[in-house]
Amino acid sequence: MDSFRQFLMTSPAPLQSLAPSLWLIIGFPLLGALICGVFGKWLGRANTGLIACCAVGASLLLSILAYWAVNDPTTVTGSQHAFENFRYAFGHDYGTWFQVGSFQVRFGLWVDHLNGPMLLVITGVGLLIHIYSTSYMSHDAGYWRYFAYLNLFVAMMLVLVLADNLVLLFVGWEGVGFCSYLLIGFWYTDPAKAWAGRKAFITNRIGDFAFLIAAFLLVLLSDAYSRQATEANAPGGRIDRHRLGVVVTTGPLNFKAIDSMARGLGTTQGNGPKMSLDTVIQEGPLKGRAVQGVVTAILLLFLLGAAGKSAQLPLYVWLPDAMAGPTPVSALIHAATMVTAGVYLFCRMASLLVLSPPAMATVAIIGALTALIAALIAFAQDDIKKVLAYSTVSQLGFMFMGVGMGVFWAAMFHLVTHAFFKACLFLGAGSVMHGNAEETDIKKLGGVRKEMPWTWLTFAIATVAITGVLPLSGFFSKDAILHGVHGTHLHGLEWVTNFVWIIGLVTAFCTAFYMWRLYILTFEGKRSAEAKIPHAHESSAAMVVPLVVLATLSVFALIWGLHLMTSPSTGKSQAIFENFLAPIFANTDRIIQGTGNLVRHDSPLMTAYVVAILIAWAGAALAAVLYFRFFPAWRAAGKPAPAFASMARGFAVAKFKVDELYELVIINPIKWSAKLLYRVVDSLLIDTLVVRGVAWVTYQTGAALRYFQTGDAQGYAAVMVVALLAGVAYAVWGLGR
Amino acid sequence: MSFFDSHLTSLVIFLPLLFAALLAFLPNAERGQLRTVTLIGMLLDLVLAAWMYLKFEPAGAEFQHEYRVRWLDDFGISYHVGVDGLAVSLILLTAVLGPLVVMASWSFVQERTKEFHIALLVLQVAMLGALSSLDVVLFYVFWEAMLIPMYLLIGVWGSEERQMAAMKFFLYTLAGSLLMLVAIIALYLIAQPSGSRSFDYATIYNALVGANRELSACMAAGASSPLCTNLSPMALTLKSWGPWMFAAFALAFAIKVPMFPVHTWLPDAHVQAPVAGSIILAGVMLKMGTFGFWRFAIPLFPSVAREARPLLAALSVIGIVYGALMCLAQRDIKKLIAYSSVSHLGYCMLGIMAMTLEGASGSAYQMLNHGVSTGALFLLFGMLYERRHTRLMSDYGGIASVMPVFAVAFVVITFSSIAVPGTNGFIGEFLVLLGTFKSSLWTGFGVLATTGVILGAAYMLWMVQRVFFGQLTHRENAHLTDMNWREMATVAPFLVLVLVMGLMPQPFLDRLNPAADRFVDRFNVGARDSRITDAEVRMVVAQLPPRAAQPLPGAPRPLGLGNVQPVPLSAPLRPAAPAPAAPVADPHAGHNH
Repeated sequence: MDSFRQFLMTSPAPLQSLAPSLWLIIGFPLLGALICGVFGKWLGRANTGLIACCAVGASLLLSILAYWAVNDPTTVTGSQHAFENFRYAFGHDYGTWFQVGSFQVRFGLWVDHLNGPMLLVITGVGLLIHIYSTSYMSHDAGYWRYFAYLNLFVAMMLVLVLADNLVLLFVGWEGVGFCSYLLIGFWYTDPAKAWAGRKAFITNRIGDFAFLIAAFLLVLLSDAYSRQATEANAPGGRIDRHRLGVVVTTGPLNFKAIDSMARGLGTTQGNGPKMSLDTVIQEGPLKGRAVQGVVTAILLLFLLGAAGKSAQLPLYVWLPDAMAGPTPVSALIHAATMVTAGVYLFCRMASLLVLSPPAMATVAIIGALTALIAALIAFAQDDIKKVLAYSTVSQLGFMFMGVGMGVFWAAMFHLVTHAFFKACLFLGAGSVMHGNAEETDIKKLGGVRKEMPWTWLTFAIATVAITGVLPLSGFFSKDAILHGVHGTHLHGLEWVTNFVWIIGLVTAFCTAFYMWRLYILTFEGKRSAEAKIPHAHESSAAMVVPLVVLATLSVFALIWGLHLMTSPSTGKSQAIFENFLAPIFANTDRIIQGTGNLVRHDSPLMTAYVVAILIAWAGAALAAVLYFRFFPAWRAAGKPAPAFASMARGFAVAKFKVDELYELVIINPIKWSAKLLYRVVDSLLIDTLVVRGVAWVTYQTGAALRYFQTGDAQGYAAVMVVALLAGVAYAVWGLGR
Repeated sequence: MSFFDSHLTSLVIFLPLLFAALLAFLPNAERGQLRTVTLIGMLLDLVLAAWMYLKFEPAGAEFQHEYRVRWLDDFGISYHVGVDGLAVSLILLTAVLGPLVVMASWSFVQERTKEFHIALLVLQVAMLGALSSLDVVLFYVFWEAMLIPMYLLIGVWGSEERQMAAMKFFLYTLAGSLLMLVAIIALYLIAQPSGSRSFDYATIYNALVGANRELSACMAAGASSPLCTNLSPMALTLKSWGPWMFAAFALAFAIKVPMFPVHTWLPDAHVQAPVAGSIILAGVMLKMGTFGFWRFAIPLFPSVAREARPLLAALSVIGIVYGALMCLAQRDIKKLIAYSSVSHLGYCMLGIMAMTLEGASGSAYQMLNHGVSTGALFLLFGMLYERRHTRLMSDYGGIASVMPVFAVAFVVITFSSIAVPGTNGFIGEFLVLLGTFKSSLWTGFGVLATTGVILGAAYMLWMVQRVFFGQLTHRENAHLTDMNWREMATVAPFLVLVLVMGLMPQPFLDRLNPAADRFVDRFNVGARDSRITDAEVRMVVAQLPPRAAQPLPGAPRPLGLGNVQPVPLSAPLRPAAPAPAAPVADPHAGHNH
């Protein structure tokens, strides 16, 4: 066992050669995208698919190497990116991207325990979805375009997670948004689909607007910190080397710089006067404001940014419409990877987040409300992909709950398990659609179980996983969040804990209900009379194998959630994944201890487990009762649906009219004001009244003066005499005064 | 230093003129020949400009590739050209667009081909000349000379309502620039005592530096402070006349930019102009406005600029948001792109007004970006227009299925225009916004300007969807042909530039940063808490060659002899300036070194 452990903890290749090759992880899919996009038409379907898969596969292999290497404790000091607060990390700096004055952004990539798992998810799930797509898209004329976009997406997502600074992360952040735009609108001849792509991009842009402002404020804060921080801000009095050194060599938006600033602000080590959260900023645009307020503002803006990408309130509206894209795209982008970027962002900047309890509370509450509302809407959706889309929104809400309450490891864990089972569900849904002539209405499916055994099996496993039934991964990850939320109090905002926790429990119940409803209506019962084709057919191996792999993963990911390790700091038992992420959040824990912003106390794990199990079963049982017994019986009796059901349903089907509200309050006023401004200000006021007015006055003046040009010499002479006399009069009397 | 090195700037400026002369001797009917010769001329000019760009030392003197000879000596006018980091970058942009514009009009212009290409070449000369003039009168001559070929391009080769648009363009711009001429003459009279007067830009600037510092210090301290009571005569003159002169300069440049209330000539001009006119107009001519602010209006009158800064910044922000909103109300694609220019140039102006290093550099970079992105948008739309002869969005729809390659190019350029990171637009916009947030301007300006990020995506993607996506709604569009090789070759450089400037901006920024640094310093001379001395911001340029050593104008002359004494002037110094300036009182006014 020990030797195996030793094996795992030894870097497979020397870091000196591995670190500079990190760019290849991005480079392979990028090259794949280029080849598929430019030559795909000539290469043919099979070759294009093969190239796309190979590109992601190569990236996966390198990711595994990187992930492996990052476990090597000896790598810490040798690597160029090694930094006291960051153990188990390595990276490489590829030079300056742009630099103006003191501000610079560098091409820096790094791997650590936080983005290591992300790398594996992106390339691993990505590869499976690529393989699945070779079959799913085999009849589409635009296959080459599809694979080019998909490879480009993988590359962009890898940029997002590998970036060691916010601006480079933003490249990936917007890059995935761009690919998502292209892929949602993949079948662009359908205006509705093109519209959905545009909606996704613009909604994301609202988030990016906030993201940018947050980044600018962070630069300002960093400047102020560089000016005002004292020796006491850097434990050991090595401020030059630690703080300023990092900013100067890597730029203010580097994650290490942000982290060390947060640490300087949040910890109580060191003697003498220091810059803390209460310090008022002395100079610059933020003059007169306390650090605490600025940090909170920055975090709330990042929250809006993350809400755009991760489909949280109030910007979640794009994700359900994004289902217009091909189903594998929904699985990869809108379930497993892109939408989790917001969670990743907050985990990356966890040390900044814990500086501000109000911001944390807002993140948690937004997450909780999103989880609940999306789950409620999912109750009444009949489109198989829409249910899964709202389910994704809801599960992302869970992750935000975890992030907001400081249970970062659990949020990341749920991110990973969710990637497995939600990708499996989406691909399963794709398989169902594929086998049923693209039917997406679950009311028109039913009884698919026997005809599509593999799809059924994997879908059922994933459903069990997402519901949070005991032995599967979803149970451990969701319960880790709920349990962590229950055991954490935000300083000064103690009520948030119970609020979020109860909503979480209710949502867990709802999740179980709508997922089982989806499952029962699709796979159980009799085949609907309205089905497009009488018999479904099982999909090809290229589609089934990824399903099986993902279902297996969603079972075995549970291992990470087992409490098998002991925490080196507290000596208590710890989940494997928590232990694994501990080096990342070591700084965060120090800040928590320093500020007392977060109080963690133990609650019995077993009670939480029991509660979670009961809730999951209750939801599933209710769905089973309603859809196996109740509604079929009503329908058999020829009665219309009961009033309570249709009422609740009507409101949920309409998605609580949120889209209409936005249309009314935001979109239409902008459209109308644009039209109004154009007609009134631009055309009428400026162009007609002023510009043409000046021309008109000039013309009229000229026309009037024309009459003085008579050509009559005597007239001219008379005027001259009058003028001369007036001049003389002025000279005599006027100047004398 | 060889003849080539010392005359490089002049060669870059006047090479197109040589080809224009050559063109005049070619037969009218030989259209291919005319086009080829013009293309060769433009390409040669590009080679020279690129050489000049590469030879420009980022860490070197402010003005490089300088050349100065006597010209109209009696009026203090000299032929003085040279480039700083911003000018050399814009010259490169102009030279890059030159051959592409010729290629873009290859099949579009069938009538009066010879005149068209001569106009293009002359326009190129005027633009390059305006960018590299270091003498104010020379600048003014080139500045006005730009108007004529552009007027012809719009008025002769434009669309249906070309006459109206050309006239509007001409009068609008002329109104501004005539006021500027008055200001230039006033400046000439104020800056130097009679007899030693000069139109040389650096001489005027150096003469005003001290007075400007006094004025700024006075304004910073408040009207009642002793700093204000002991103003030198020059400072007093500037105090009373500076605002007027600044206003004249600012109006001329604001019209050219165009800034918010004086922008209405642009949509009409763009809509009616032929594709070449639109590309040059958007690509280079609009930057003449921002360049003018950067080169003349602000450094010459920093204290007035400081007073006007909130207003100008507000107008820039209004331009960003208002321009974007206008785009949402358009049905005409060219008008939409034109209004998007108003929005993008708003970023350039805001970056300048931010008066931070990031803002100024970002603004300069945004000027280059806008030239590439919007130039490419006009080029691409020109191809569509050539096929369908309509500008209305509703006449298109579903074009992506008949012109896939074209659609890809258009979408890439669109995303560069809405500043997706990785493309050129992002760097400029990011730096401008960062600079705005870092500046002493109200934070709300930065926030409002950032909304342009959302609106930009909204209108551009809306247009892309209306034109390219959906079903083919018009039967006429079913047989449109995709881009041919010539068109692809025209677009390819733009696509390459979009990515290169987005991923490797540093070589460009290296040349812009020192210029931005000097620009910001010049604005801050004398401001509160500023420790910048006059000596740091004073301009060092080549002196006029001694009269005797100048047997023939235009003969080669060694450069860099900074210690050559100015020629003793024959005219006696007499204090006869019409303005109440007492010329000898200012210790800095007399010498220009």
